[in-house]
Amino acid sequence: MNWRRDALLLGAVIALGVLPWVGQPYTLRLGTFACMYAVLAVSWNVIGGFAGYPSFATAAFFGFGAYAGGIMLTRGYPLAVAALSAGAIAFAAAVVMGAVLLRLRGHYFAIASLAVAEVLRELTNSATELTGGGMGLNIPFDAASGGGVVGEATYYFRAMWLLLIVTLVVVLYVQRSRLGFGLACIRQNEAAADMIGINATLYKSLALAFSGVFVAMAGTLYAGWVHYIEPPDVYDILYAVKPIVMVLLGGLGSVTGAVLGAFAFLGIEELVWRNYLQIHTGMLGLLVVVLLLFLPQGLVSIGPRLAIWRARQRREAPRGG
Amino acid sequence: MYTLQILVNGIVLGCLYACIAAGFSLVWGVLNVINLMHGSFIVLGSYLAWGAYNTMGISPWLTVLIAAPLFYAGGYLVQRGLLNRVIAAPVLVTLTLTFGLDLILNNAMILAFRADYRSLILDPPLGTIAMGSVVVPVDRLVAMLFALVLTGVLYLILRRSRVGRAIIAVRLDRDAATLMGVDVKATNAAAFGLGAGMAGCAGVLMALIFPISPLSSTAYLGKAFVVCVLGGLGSVPGAVLGGLLLGLVESFGAMAFGPEHAVTLSFSLLILFLVLRPQGLLGKRGFE
Amino acid sequence: MSQASSIVTVQSRSALWRTLGCGIAMTCALSAGQALAQQTIRFGAPLPLTGALAPEALKQQQGYDLWAEVVNRAGGIDVGGKKMKVEIIYTDYQSNTPRAVQAAEKLISQEKVDFLFSPFGSGAAKAASTVSERYGVPTIASTASSSQVYDQGYKFLFGTFTPNETLTSPLTDIVRKAAPNVKRVAILARNDLFPLAIAQEMEKSAKSRGLELVLFEKYAINTMDHSSALAQIKAAKPDWIFATGYINDLVLLKKQMGDQRIEAPVVTMIAGPAYQEFIDAAGAGAENISSAAWWHPASQYNGTDVFGTTANYVKLFSEKYKSVPDYAQASASVSGALFQIAIEKAGSLDKAKVRDAMAAMDVVTFWGPVRFGANGQINSLEPPVFQIQGGKAVVVFPAAIKQGDFKLGVK
Repeated sequence: MNWRRDALLLGAVIALGVLPWVGQPYTLRLGTFACMYAVLAVSWNVIGGFAGYPSFATAAFFGFGAYAGGIMLTRGYPLAVAALSAGAIAFAAAVVMGAVLLRLRGHYFAIASLAVAEVLRELTNSATELTGGGMGLNIPFDAASGGGVVGEATYYFRAMWLLLIVTLVVVLYVQRSRLGFGLACIRQNEAAADMIGINATLYKSLALAFSGVFVAMAGTLYAGWVHYIEPPDVYDILYAVKPIVMVLLGGLGSVTGAVLGAFAFLGIEELVWRNYLQIHTGMLGLLVVVLLLFLPQGLVSIGPRLAIWRARQRREAPRGG
Repeated sequence: MYTLQILVNGIVLGCLYACIAAGFSLVWGVLNVINLMHGSFIVLGSYLAWGAYNTMGISPWLTVLIAAPLFYAGGYLVQRGLLNRVIAAPVLVTLTLTFGLDLILNNAMILAFRADYRSLILDPPLGTIAMGSVVVPVDRLVAMLFALVLTGVLYLILRRSRVGRAIIAVRLDRDAATLMGVDVKATNAAAFGLGAGMAGCAGVLMALIFPISPLSSTAYLGKAFVVCVLGGLGSVPGAVLGGLLLGLVESFGAMAFGPEHAVTLSFSLLILFLVLRPQGLLGKRGFE
Repeated sequence: MSQASSIVTVQSRSALWRTLGCGIAMTCALSAGQALAQQTIRFGAPLPLTGALAPEALKQQQGYDLWAEVVNRAGGIDVGGKKMKVEIIYTDYQSNTPRAVQAAEKLISQEKVDFLFSPFGSGAAKAASTVSERYGVPTIASTASSSQVYDQGYKFLFGTFTPNETLTSPLTDIVRKAAPNVKRVAILARNDLFPLAIAQEMEKSAKSRGLELVLFEKYAINTMDHSSALAQIKAAKPDWIFATGYINDLVLLKKQMGDQRIEAPVVTMIAGPAYQEFIDAAGAGAENISSAAWWHPASQYNGTDVFGTTANYVKLFSEKYKSVPDYAQASASVSGALFQIAIEKAGSLDKAKVRDAMAAMDVVTFWGPVRFGANGQINSLEPPVFQIQGGKAVVVFPAAIKQGDFKLGVK
């Protein structure tokens, strides 16, 4: 826990806010995705990195937020209200769900969280009157966005960027709080944590809730941004898998790592997509494999590794010279 | 009045599901590796069957025998070469690794075979059998029998052969097994190889029943997941029971609630089992 | 202690640089899409080259490539007296609708395409049309039939498929005439935009003509086994089974129908039987399955487009790809041909002028007569109804191109 590092991280993200003044709409689109991915990764880190529970529920929260918020948007509520409501419901639901599912460990919890997304998707598919079912949901343009390509792009970028900042502030605070300390104990040894008086069930449920609230809000923003959503798009299992890959790329347990991993993953994905038409999925897979085999602690470990390597060079140099 | 037909459908389907899941369950239960390439292995097996039949006239029933050693060898190499490097790492790392490998494999298949749907049509076709009011297609029936035989063979390998017993020993207690002289690396590779072999053989059987395409791999993987949870990890009889349970639930569920809810039903059942009985029907309690 | 803090400092500093570096590098890489002097006319084509819709992407690509080749062989498109060649920029949107939207924006703003072909299907076409409308880029959707796609009041979106009811109405009439005893209809639909929409149209057509709907069920995407649904259908003893889905669903359905020995006088499937792949995969079981589509290679239109007659299009396609084209490829090709006609009429590449020329279009092409309604969707086609007889697709309607009579009995 390092105040300086966290301040630098926040500063870097805030600096990203200049993007609308230097970039074109497509760059803004990428920036919005970058912020969204970062929100997903940082959120997942709370339950997966802090608490050590491999959750695949990100897709469930995202899809839920997209539909709950999306439906509110179709009823005319402003974006902020829709997002906050979706987030609040997701938070409450996650606490309840957590109490039931978090009794499971390891793989079993992973599967259960994945299944929740599948069930929610099919329920959304069936509730045709409310959600449009398999035919999708149309979300009208938000008048506040000012219209026009640049206006729309800027509006949603700002929204997602603000969400990222809020997420970072809250998560960093959680990391330093009693909750964060409790989660670290739970991750290391849950039985021992129980014995020293940490209410494991409550803490874990809160972790799950924090991992879900911002993801749901991101889902709402996303729905407003693309104007048309279908259940397979927003409950896509990739929204559960990609944040995990991002966090692993960046460094498990580290908030900076999560943000780094998200940006790096987006960069890799975009580069690969642009340059390879037929083999871009394979290239992405290759990069993931290579990174995992050679950088198992993620990108944040490059620094320490370099330092150790440099120290080793310095030590060996006199002998060679 | 057609309940009997649904029952038979469910049982036949269930045995196919068991075959799809048996290898996956083995690898997960013994190596603690969730092999996301499993679905793609199955599809690869289907293409092998299709190719063998349409270019060389080899009957799929024979291709099963070819697929087994071929996929075993492939799986062994993948495990020994790649997965073994991260075998001690947390669950998530191996999961992500197999995710990346699956992206590569799937992309390769789309390039090699084109992303269309093919069917393996036997000439002459096997037809159907009618038993009273119940009609059963012969190809599904024979595939079901083969599936049961394969899972039986796997079970025997695990219980009776040296390799199999080494696998079980490593699963029960890795350190004790090492002390007993078991080569853990080779055993892990053998276990993964067996899982891959089962997947390949399952794929050959599936080629007769479902359309063949690289796009089907996620569907197979999804079924394997559910069956494993229902039946218990690392248990071959568990895979059979889990498969039957899933097949029956889907068939009767579709009848009771409508076909569009069959998937929801299977996943809700999954969650229910996880909450109430996470070790599945036959799994051992506490094994994570 | 200092060792640890220096490592941490190194880590945090390098982390900061890396984050900024990533951002800057990304921005630079993306802003580097310079527009060179206009040498060719650039058409953007987002395709689902990977993912669940990949089989459809192959067909679309064939259609677009054939058109580009034929046009360029003739020297290119005449833009106000100057001939310019055609270039198609492909990108993969991975069968994912949000990616389709991103692909559309990338093609327009980064690759600077002049005109756009829509992604496959109704959902993705609708989503992507928002982007092209905002940028004012004329777009043709070659595979979007649901009228919901065109209900946003957009001016720059056009479609080459007529609405779904133009498929179901003539079909119902033909069946009624050929088989007056057919009374009971069972519908099984995939729970997806197009298959569900057309199933609902079928329901309306059937009810309006006094047929009895004995069953209407939906099945989830990625269903691997239809036995239960089919057992229910069998128990309902329908005279007419109407199933919708994509080719893999329908092939599986037909196989399982055979497995359960389900027979009916009339079996209709949309949208698979038009493809040769379906006929190959279904084998003998495909006999007498009926379907409807927006075009058939047996059509006899005398077009003023670059392909000319339908027969000529079929000939050119068969020479290049060694197979007979179906409506998917033809629709892609005609989308290109329509752009050509519009550009030549407008005499320039100005997007607004081309758009106006497109809206006022009134020509005959190898695809059929083309006139667009106020919402941009074509409304001048007479979609053929056909049936698989003897391993081939035989047209039974309209009378002008009829090749055979409607037969009953599917095993």
